[in-house]
Amino acid sequence: MGKIHVVTGRGGTGKSTFTAFMARFLSASSLLLIDLDPDGSLPKMLGANLEEEGKWTISDALYEVMGKGRETKDIPDLLRQKMEEGRILYHGGKFDLIVLGTKLAQGCYCLPDEMIKELIRTLNKNYDTVLVDSPAGLEHLNRKVTPDIDDLFVIMDPSEKSAKHIERMKYVIKGVNIHYHHLYLVGNYRFTEEAEAILLRSGERYLGRIAFDPLVRESNLKGESLLNIPEEAPSSLSVKKILREAGYDHLSEYH
Amino acid sequence: MARRIVATGRGGAGKSTFVALMSRYLKPPSLLIDLDPDLSLADMLGIDLREQGKRTVVEALYDAVKERQRGGSPLTPVEDRFKGLLWGDCLYEGRGFDVITLGTKDLEGCYCYPDHLLRKTISELSKNYTHVVIDSPAGLEHLNRNIVSEVDELFLILDPSEKSLVHIRKLKLVLKEVGTIYHHFYLVGNYMFDEASEKHFQEAGELFLGRIEYDPKVEEYNLTGKPLRELPEDSPACRSVKKILEKAGLA
Repeated sequence: MGKIHVVTGRGGTGKSTFTAFMARFLSASSLLLIDLDPDGSLPKMLGANLEEEGKWTISDALYEVMGKGRETKDIPDLLRQKMEEGRILYHGGKFDLIVLGTKLAQGCYCLPDEMIKELIRTLNKNYDTVLVDSPAGLEHLNRKVTPDIDDLFVIMDPSEKSAKHIERMKYVIKGVNIHYHHLYLVGNYRFTEEAEAILLRSGERYLGRIAFDPLVRESNLKGESLLNIPEEAPSSLSVKKILREAGYDHLSEYH
Repeated sequence: MARRIVATGRGGAGKSTFVALMSRYLKPPSLLIDLDPDLSLADMLGIDLREQGKRTVVEALYDAVKERQRGGSPLTPVEDRFKGLLWGDCLYEGRGFDVITLGTKDLEGCYCYPDHLLRKTISELSKNYTHVVIDSPAGLEHLNRNIVSEVDELFLILDPSEKSLVHIRKLKLVLKEVGTIYHHFYLVGNYMFDEASEKHFQEAGELFLGRIEYDPKVEEYNLTGKPLRELPEDSPACRSVKKILEKAGLA
């Protein structure tokens, strides 16, 4: 059974940036990344081009299957079939990747999320680590995609809203019965000592902050892979330090 | 009939900041609806809903269900009971604007049902106002639920990233497929915009109304939780929002 780690937080705090750098350093010999954000950008940040590889997002697959006028009850089976045909799982150099994608039909993401939940359950045994990048906000937690989490990272921006977000997140997690082993707080690139003094009152373990790095800003503006940023760049190094703080040993470099 | 205004965008772009500042300039009475389960609009407006004895939509729904479980009249469907509670318990009445918040749900499952109830009541509610302004949750999922099927002014708040450009495309695609009608589509740059990024987005093919000026006071207020309603009228953030609204014919 692989360990399941989840990165979450308010919108725009830097969840995907943290996830991308974390993927670089995880020493797992096999790593499955999940982009759970309908507005997701993780593949781009990792330099993964799904279209080029002929891969579908879960939402693409759902659209494809539903477009053929199938009965709703058959959809999960049809999606499983697409998975087995290798249409969904993207194979990268060091990591594999599954992307939720944008859904174009009316209604919520319960069904696509349910499919991902099932995929994680079945694929988990093939990987050392499953790392989930969450959409902004709280709704995904209500769907309980990962009922058992090893490490839960919450990325904070320097606002009172981030402190309140932690309280609300814990309220939802308790209500829907998600278990986690560790809850870690991480300050984002805009965090300051002042923010640390004001906002870290929840008593949860704080690991440090991600260093501001113009290279990340530039990369994100251009839509380039964050993995092209040198390992010794401030952003990259700060994530490495944060992971060490969380007790991750044997951090490796991305090859 | 009220003008229906929606502010949307990627997480952290500044949707609630924009709506909070917008509320100063709209002709009263306006109704502000915070559709984000990770709510913050009321805080930014300096309203303590709990202190005011107000319930969120989710809480009112729990109340309606509980009443039913305890007995209640079987002749009143939960939805009708909820409607009564929405008017009485959820509507915060302020000076110049009223506020309703969706709230946080701690039961397993999505927000389809609370959103559905709200959709059914929004058109009834909006008769009493000049403007109904919706502050959206981050991302795209709320659009799939088509809560307001016809929007007069859709403001998309952008951060200066490639992801925002992709977001514009995805947003329009979802609106089209779901069948949401909008009359005006406006782009607004957030406080991180500079001239270079502004130029970049002016070429996006949509009407770019301007950017919200960087304002150290907004940062300070958000860090300490001080309501944005108290921001001085002549601060850069306020002035730039006013200018944007004037361009949209709203102020």
